[in-house]
Amino acid sequence: MSESWLNQKERGSPLLMRLITWITLRLGRPAGRVMLVPISLYFLLFSRRARAASRLYLRRALARKPHWLDIYRHYFCFSATILDRLYFLSGRQDYFEIDVHGVEAIQETLRQGRGCVLLGAHLGSFEVLRSLAVQFGEVPFAILMHVENALKMNAIMNTLNPDLANSIISMGSPDGLLRAREIIESGGIVGILGDRTRPGDKTLPCEFFGATAELPDGPLSFASIMHAPVALGLGLYRGGRRYEVHFELLADSLEAPRALRREIIQGHLQHYVSRLEHYCRIAPYNWFNFYDYWAPASR
Amino acid sequence: MNNSQSPLEQEVAALIVQALNLEITPQEIDPAAPLYHEGLGLDSIDMLELSLAISKTYGFQLKSDAPDNASIFSSLQSLTRHIGKSRVK
Repeated sequence: MSESWLNQKERGSPLLMRLITWITLRLGRPAGRVMLVPISLYFLLFSRRARAASRLYLRRALARKPHWLDIYRHYFCFSATILDRLYFLSGRQDYFEIDVHGVEAIQETLRQGRGCVLLGAHLGSFEVLRSLAVQFGEVPFAILMHVENALKMNAIMNTLNPDLANSIISMGSPDGLLRAREIIESGGIVGILGDRTRPGDKTLPCEFFGATAELPDGPLSFASIMHAPVALGLGLYRGGRRYEVHFELLADSLEAPRALRREIIQGHLQHYVSRLEHYCRIAPYNWFNFYDYWAPASR
Repeated sequence: MNNSQSPLEQEVAALIVQALNLEITPQEIDPAAPLYHEGLGLDSIDMLELSLAISKTYGFQLKSDAPDNASIFSSLQSLTRHIGKSRVK
């Protein structure tokens, strides 16, 4: 599992990525999207492992045997959201029709001066959530992530939007979590993608589409230690220029003594996974974990 | 076992064991061994929890932008030294 997505070579050359960036930003999104057709077809033909993972997932999410067109749509959806990141990063979110649900829950929490953990997933686009940060007022906003993973994309991001690049906190160092602590304590939002496990992460088993998947307990442990509320945040891509953003309060407080923490977190983590499953059924092609999600934990 | 802990090191060692619910005695923490990863084997979540316990007990906050964070967390000895310098209670 975890290792399999780390070991997967980042496909696509930096040159190709720069070319697509140039085309999209100069000639517009429709021109950029034309490029996505051959790219998706290329992956459909040549990425054996990702294709197998896509098929495995789609069989569960669609509750039927996936057709190759389904897998093509899955890839196309993925590449389309990556392309749109360029637009979001360069501040052109006005181009999109963004339908927002449930933002009140977070606004209310923030109004009380409580910082919150925004738990996302590799389901749809996290970028669209970030572009909505203005709706939360002037609160600090940062994303806690394993920076080394997305180096190539970050290079482009750095040039397009240095401010956003600065809002990324590296996980896995004491400094990083101290920074995240400061943001929560000052009433801000810390975004974390909670659905991927890395080797060495502590995990908990959760049921996802009727089978067991191992998810990291780190994000919820962080929320629990900080006594911070946890909200789910997903930006589903619905085709064309449409995005649908869903916020849900997952837990108002995860307070738990250390000895009981894993048990309490387990319940909340399962709730999170069940909500992911719900949104996967609504927007099945938005699931962007192209590896065997249900493979047993390798530690 | 190791009896070379200073009085404040003993106090901080006890705080670490208690805050993180470790299954060792405070005396077992080697003052010079790393706390993080190898050594005591704490992860970054543990370190965060420890930083909160330190704030509560000693009344000051470890800052994310302190240039010497890596060395502060490097051992019981250096953490204790930092607490000795920075504590307000």
